[in-house]
Amino acid sequence: MKQRQLIVTGVIIAFGIALLVSATSYWNEFLVMQENRIKPMEYSTAIGSPILGSETATVTILEYGDYQCEMCKHWFHNTRSQIIENYVDSGKANLYFMDIPFLGRDSAKAANASYCAEEQGMYWEYHSMLYEHQEGIDSGWASPERLKSFAFSLGLDSDQFSECVDLQKYKQRVKLNSDKSVSQGVQSTPYFVITNSDGEQQKISGAQPYSVFRQVIESML
Amino acid sequence: MTNSFKLVFSNFRYLVVAVAIFKAMLIPLSLVSEFLFFEPFIIWYIAPDRIVSFALILAVSSLSGIVISMNIYRIRLLTVKTRKIGGSILGSLIGASAGACSCGPIGFTVITTFGTAGSIATAFLTDYEIPLRLASIAILVIVLFTTTRSLSIECKIKN
Repeated sequence: MKQRQLIVTGVIIAFGIALLVSATSYWNEFLVMQENRIKPMEYSTAIGSPILGSETATVTILEYGDYQCEMCKHWFHNTRSQIIENYVDSGKANLYFMDIPFLGRDSAKAANASYCAEEQGMYWEYHSMLYEHQEGIDSGWASPERLKSFAFSLGLDSDQFSECVDLQKYKQRVKLNSDKSVSQGVQSTPYFVITNSDGEQQKISGAQPYSVFRQVIESML
Repeated sequence: MTNSFKLVFSNFRYLVVAVAIFKAMLIPLSLVSEFLFFEPFIIWYIAPDRIVSFALILAVSSLSGIVISMNIYRIRLLTVKTRKIGGSILGSLIGASAGACSCGPIGFTVITTFGTAGSIATAFLTDYEIPLRLASIAILVIVLFTTTRSLSIECKIKN
């Protein structure tokens, strides 16, 4: 009886701690967002992905993501295609991707592989391939063998790609991306910073629907 | 079972408690599971591929509200010592922790604080979100069943 009471008390205490941690993290994120709203930050895309869309587009969408993040996958499937169709393809907006691979050991490997694909001019195709095939975190879906098989499916040069993956050629670039993202206050994925040519900036946290992005982008065009 | 429901929820206070627990579960769970967003606008969004996940959150929140308020009734009005409230809290906790999105700020904080151990824990909670929520619902249903049975027995004795 006493043992059971102890277990229940322990569980309640653990829940309390978890609640406190969550409240603190949400509060921190809220404070960062408030601060960023007052002082727009400089976001560098120099070491991130290549650009998707027109370089002269009025609006730039910078996505921070992890290839193992389930919510990034949901955003990829539910929202991204509409943004590409209505804003990127029409030249009104362009898109960048910055890695923040924090979820598991395969996250950084997948990010590294995306830059290996970039060497052969297939970054965005490989990026899409990764989100199309995403499974559980560190479940083996992004093992070196699978990463190589994705490249093979896209018709990339297998030897060049394999060497790049095995040597983790872009490990440092991925780490720099991640460090930069964290230093800019990004604490979750997907996270979006939308800027326009006048320097206006809006941030969207989470896999939000297309209607939210449409409203924000339209207000900045 | 219907009699037990009538008995507890005919008292308006327990209905209020049940609704309060339901809301207190649904809103934070929707927030951490990314169904509810406050920035840049307040929006509740359930993507077609996430309907099951939201339905499970609704079920966990509703059952938690019903079961916990019924057990509070037993403790307060029938002055019985109940272990079932422990079961209902455990069920609610499992449901709440499952799928507390590892991509979100909670997952980020846990992973950056606890490193590999935090990463394994959040990965487990994310990968097994649906089975864990189903287990939570099963626990709550069992507790609901035993609570309604106990209520009808205890009330007969008291009468």
